[in-house]
Amino acid sequence: MPPPEPRRRLLATLWAGLLLGCALLLAWQLRDGLPADTRLTAMLPEDRRTPLIERADDQLGQAFSERFVLLLDAPSLPDAAADLARALQAAGGQHPLLDRLDWRASDLADRGPGERLAEARYRLLTDDVRREIDADGGQALVAPALRALFSPTATADPVADPFGLLDRWLAARDTSPVQARDGLLTVVNGDRPQALLIGHLAVSPYDLAAQRSLTAALDAFRADHPEATLSRSGLVFHAAAGARQARGEITTIGLGALAGLLGVLLVVFRSPWAIAQMLLPLATGLLLALPLTLLLFGRLHLLTLAFGASLVGIAIDYALHLQCRRAVQGRTFRLRALLPALGLGLASSLVAYLAQALTPMPGLRQMAVFAALGLAGAWLTVVLWLPRLRLAPHPVTARLAQGWWRRTGPRGGLSPRLALVGLLLVVGLVAWRLDADDSLALLNPSPADLLAEERALQGLLGRDTGRRYLLVSATDEPRLLERLEGLGATLERWRDQGADFSVHNLADSVPSPARQEADLARVRRLYDGPLAELVAQSGLPARTLARARARLETVPVLGVEAWLASPLGRHQRRLWIGDTGDGVASLILLNGLPAGPGAEALDTRLRALADARPGVTYVDRAARLGRLLGELRVQIAGWLGGALALLALGLAWRYRGRTWRVLTPPLGGVLGVLGIYALAGIPLNVFSQLGLLLVLGIGLDAGIFGAEAEGRAATWLAISLSTLTSLLAFGLLAFSATPALHFLGLSCLIGLALVWGLVRWAAPGAEASPMETADAATP
Amino acid sequence: MTRLLALLLALLLALLPATALAFGLGDLQRRLEATPSLEGRFAQTRHLADLDSQLESTGHFRYERDVRVVWTLETPVEERLEFSAASPPEMGADDRRQAQAAALFLDLLQGHWQALEERFTLTLAGDADAWRVTLRPRQAALRQRIAEIRLRGDRYLERLALDAANGDRLRVRLFDQRAAEAGDAAP
Repeated sequence: MPPPEPRRRLLATLWAGLLLGCALLLAWQLRDGLPADTRLTAMLPEDRRTPLIERADDQLGQAFSERFVLLLDAPSLPDAAADLARALQAAGGQHPLLDRLDWRASDLADRGPGERLAEARYRLLTDDVRREIDADGGQALVAPALRALFSPTATADPVADPFGLLDRWLAARDTSPVQARDGLLTVVNGDRPQALLIGHLAVSPYDLAAQRSLTAALDAFRADHPEATLSRSGLVFHAAAGARQARGEITTIGLGALAGLLGVLLVVFRSPWAIAQMLLPLATGLLLALPLTLLLFGRLHLLTLAFGASLVGIAIDYALHLQCRRAVQGRTFRLRALLPALGLGLASSLVAYLAQALTPMPGLRQMAVFAALGLAGAWLTVVLWLPRLRLAPHPVTARLAQGWWRRTGPRGGLSPRLALVGLLLVVGLVAWRLDADDSLALLNPSPADLLAEERALQGLLGRDTGRRYLLVSATDEPRLLERLEGLGATLERWRDQGADFSVHNLADSVPSPARQEADLARVRRLYDGPLAELVAQSGLPARTLARARARLETVPVLGVEAWLASPLGRHQRRLWIGDTGDGVASLILLNGLPAGPGAEALDTRLRALADARPGVTYVDRAARLGRLLGELRVQIAGWLGGALALLALGLAWRYRGRTWRVLTPPLGGVLGVLGIYALAGIPLNVFSQLGLLLVLGIGLDAGIFGAEAEGRAATWLAISLSTLTSLLAFGLLAFSATPALHFLGLSCLIGLALVWGLVRWAAPGAEASPMETADAATP
Repeated sequence: MTRLLALLLALLLALLPATALAFGLGDLQRRLEATPSLEGRFAQTRHLADLDSQLESTGHFRYERDVRVVWTLETPVEERLEFSAASPPEMGADDRRQAQAAALFLDLLQGHWQALEERFTLTLAGDADAWRVTLRPRQAALRQRIAEIRLRGDRYLERLALDAANGDRLRVRLFDQRAAEAGDAAP
């Protein structure tokens, strides 16, 4: 029994008051900007997260996001490089784009190695020197030391370092392929030297103004130097490409969809006011959902916002049904007749989405709560406010509804037996052929040529963004370094046996205290006979001997902090995680691992290596994030299946024998999409599955309203408009070049078209309504 | 009118030798590069400030422009050192350091000022028969190692003096120099 008029007025006022409160709350919450979260892992339950791995991942990605690298090839390299450097340094004008640009040989000139390193040098031996001393005390090292004393190009320091131990050690640490040539930093590509420019960004790579000024500077340079070729590496270029693509798609797909949507609604309702009334529920839904979700969860994940807002879009169904009914029935319209269908529509969507609020995934919970609140808010506005808003229905709307009904209205024809056969066929097909794809490429919207450029350049520089590594932890630094040394030795053995990859290990630069002690003992041997021989042969004064040996008396141990603070050690900071709360951790980065079948075998081997040792974890970032996506996908599917079963039970209670008619559009739409994917060999991913959520919601509404089937023409018009507007809003995303949006759109495009067709076929149309008798001849 | 012309002519004649005399780094470089291949003897003294002692060495050298210098020590040890300009691309970092030092040495010997100007400020004094070039490092990083380099010569480079930042001094005297046939097989 609907409430009497005064109570309804009171409820509408209360609702307005509640929304006002929400607006105030939201304004207060957003006073320092939206507390948003972008980490994919934040969508996971706490106990599944691994903070240490996340710290390592963040650290590895940092250099990639804060810097960019340009490789320049031109006939006159010094001039072109100077021009490019000038252009980059001037970029941004008032707000410079760059903190620093390294491009001259002197920009990376080896600064002094640092005092601490100089003091510790007698504990630091290269493998070659260690071998020589172990062989015969280091006799073979005398000749090169003599050469250095008399060469006009060498520096000689017979007291501090007669054998040049520090220079040798530093040279062995420097494995960079970057060379100084003609005053430039160069890398040899093929057989040509090319100039290298390394920019340190002053702002975020996502800063649109920075992206613009960088792009403008490079474009201007290319126009001035058509003979030069540039390759790029760095997050800023990918971010700029993404932003450009998004801008392009907003103007084509976005504006196109909006124009189409408004055009269709205008043709039907002939009144901007009627359309504004339909958008009002969406706005109020978001106004309710945003502050309350923030209140419940503290922060909002960006995926929640994007998909939650899309799901709230389903709420336009309620407004469409109400407005169509009002337009067709005019003064005879009563809300009461529509309420059961509206109520069921809301309840079914709420069940479908709230099922995900029960999952252990906080990200899904957030999305479900957001969507449910948004739908409820929109529904309340439709029921409480819209009937009170004046609407002068245009006569065209009613005529259109009747004509549309005659021409396309449901014809029925689907029998339960046929539905069951279809269901079994599609389920079989899906079970037999449907694949899933959880690869990370879905999250990467960069164009292929930019990715290829990135890969080629990183290969040339002998580094990548750190996709695979061993995370090693121990209770203290000495123990950690020993662990790192042990792993390093094993990996070195694998490489000797033919495994093809490079290793970045902190223990190669900071030996464990035990090894440093052993190396100091070796240097004492070297300073015995061989040093005496060197002094005698060179004609150095005899006091050199005593003074050089005195330096070995107190030699400090080199620690990680001291190394990382030195100019060369700065490049290894990304390997050091440091204090973990119950010890220290570092990582061994593995670069240039082979692709293809060899990769899997090596992966297994590395995992086994890590599993066999305490405190070691093998991390494949791409595979790990892919697994997270997959987990998300499976969780959504599982809970959705459960929710559907529950819904079927609930609907059976009301519809009895007609339940299958209600369920055919949503289930048929979802299964149809899956079947088409299976046939076409398109793997299912988390984004196409999120699109299926939309298909399900709109399909459920269509099924319920189709079954309620009162005021047939108006209902059919509303169902048609609902699928059409959703097709325009979401289905057109299938033409997006961004993988995530493309798959979401593709599911909607196919699914919504199927939903519309299935309502026509499954609704109890032909046999019941008196209206279609005029057109009974049409099959 | 004729008087004016005569005056101008006189002025011009007076100016001509002056312009010819303005001896620049470009002239010097052309002059040094005129000899594509050179051989001679050297005497080198390295003064070690820390030990307050000298290391002396002598020998002979052979220099091929833009290619290499072969530096053959005779006393106190016998040793053949070679510094070449072109460095193979696949060399390790250790060799690369030496290659950089060798490239600097070659640049100094052949007066390759353009390359040197990147890292040093250059001042030239004297004339074609007795010139001096002083080089001071531009960057702080290089100043930590080299305080100053001085070159002196006439037709050829005769003296090279390098003052290191730590007080060490290197003095190289080149003498008995003569142009060598290009392509002569150097041992």
